[in-house]
Amino acid sequence: MFRLRRTAIIVPLCLLAVMFAVRPASAQMDFSGEWQPIFYEDQPERVAGPEIGDYTGIPINDAARMRADTWMAAVQTLPEWQCRPHSADYIWRGPSQLRITKEINPVTRQINAFHLEWLRSVDNPVWLDGRPHPPEYAEHTWGGFATGKWDGQSLTVTITHLKEGYLRRNGLPRSDKATIVEHWTRHGDYLTVAVIMYDPVYLAEPFVRTTDYRLALNGLVAPYPCNVVEEVTRAKGEVPSWMPGKNPDLHEYADKHQLPFEATRGGPQTMYPEYISKMK
Amino acid sequence: MKRTFLDGCAFSLGCTLARLRFASGLHSLRSCLALFAVAVFVSGVQLYAHHSFAATYHEDQTVKIEGTLVQFQFRNPHSFVQVDAPDAKGVMQRWGVEWGGAGQLGGQNITRYTLKAGDHVIITGNPGRNPEEHRIRMVGLKRPSDGLSWGGRPGETFD
Repeated sequence: MFRLRRTAIIVPLCLLAVMFAVRPASAQMDFSGEWQPIFYEDQPERVAGPEIGDYTGIPINDAARMRADTWMAAVQTLPEWQCRPHSADYIWRGPSQLRITKEINPVTRQINAFHLEWLRSVDNPVWLDGRPHPPEYAEHTWGGFATGKWDGQSLTVTITHLKEGYLRRNGLPRSDKATIVEHWTRHGDYLTVAVIMYDPVYLAEPFVRTTDYRLALNGLVAPYPCNVVEEVTRAKGEVPSWMPGKNPDLHEYADKHQLPFEATRGGPQTMYPEYISKMK
Repeated sequence: MKRTFLDGCAFSLGCTLARLRFASGLHSLRSCLALFAVAVFVSGVQLYAHHSFAATYHEDQTVKIEGTLVQFQFRNPHSFVQVDAPDAKGVMQRWGVEWGGAGQLGGQNITRYTLKAGDHVIITGNPGRNPEEHRIRMVGLKRPSDGLSWGGRPGETFD
């Protein structure tokens, strides 16, 4: 009798212990695959490129405005610029195919990292193994240092240690002190990435952009060797740029699209629909 | 025919397409070519994103130069054609004409051997924003000696 009562207690307790000890199958989402960008939004800017002086809807500050106003596109003919890849935050916006591969830990069988590769990019790993970010003085790269954390079936990625890059390809800068937070969500064959940029140097507020990709089973990320040549003959040491206040093209965008010039200068207020009432 | 690595990039697209053809049951040559064109277009699109053309060139203007090709830089991110030709004032200048990347041009039957130094060429395009650079974005190219042309047929563009 006593043995039966003890059994009746021990067995359920053992079952409970097993239930809590056994780790349920991970609900990690698989982002790996070949992906093709979708251009239902911002296509003219993302493919052909933005116009000079178009800072609309970006929460830039005066420092960013001055950098952009003094920027000259010809700087990209310099040897240091010709083979420069888009950095990890901007490249989502480009028109390249994307390949995401996953790195599996052979013991835990969990995803250690995702590796992202576009046509003209470096390998951008996102580490999911809990490793910390390096100290602030560590090397900055085009891909930065990225770590990811699961949020349900979405992935939140934090990127630091990026080299200086750009918000738009018309001179709007993004500093090397920025922190990027991305939220990846996969819904069937579609991948949506929300990129939130925190830049203490050039942004007055966080800057949010979303970009969509679709699974492309026949996708191809081709080799892309790049070499530096003399594209334009110029004097040694010459760096194309405008002196402050000397760029003659800043009004071109506003005039062409019949917008108030002030609206094209960007800033946090231009992000919100209420700004339209100011333009009237 | 000599193959270089860059030419091989375009060639490898054709190989990929051949495998796709058998996998997808596309036995029609026309379907195959259509898929190839799409694959080349899609795979070459990132070449556009290097810089903004609107920020670099006056896209609403067109210039025409006629002169002697000095160098054909067939490469990524953008090929360049260096041409000695007179400007509007008749002064001989060295013009840098920007073209598509090697992978993209390869899909349009342009290789590093298509043009050579000494060719007489006529080029139309959009002028660069800095006139002192004598820079043009290619819209059309003609080589009168053999009738070679680019830019007039569908698909012969780059953005």
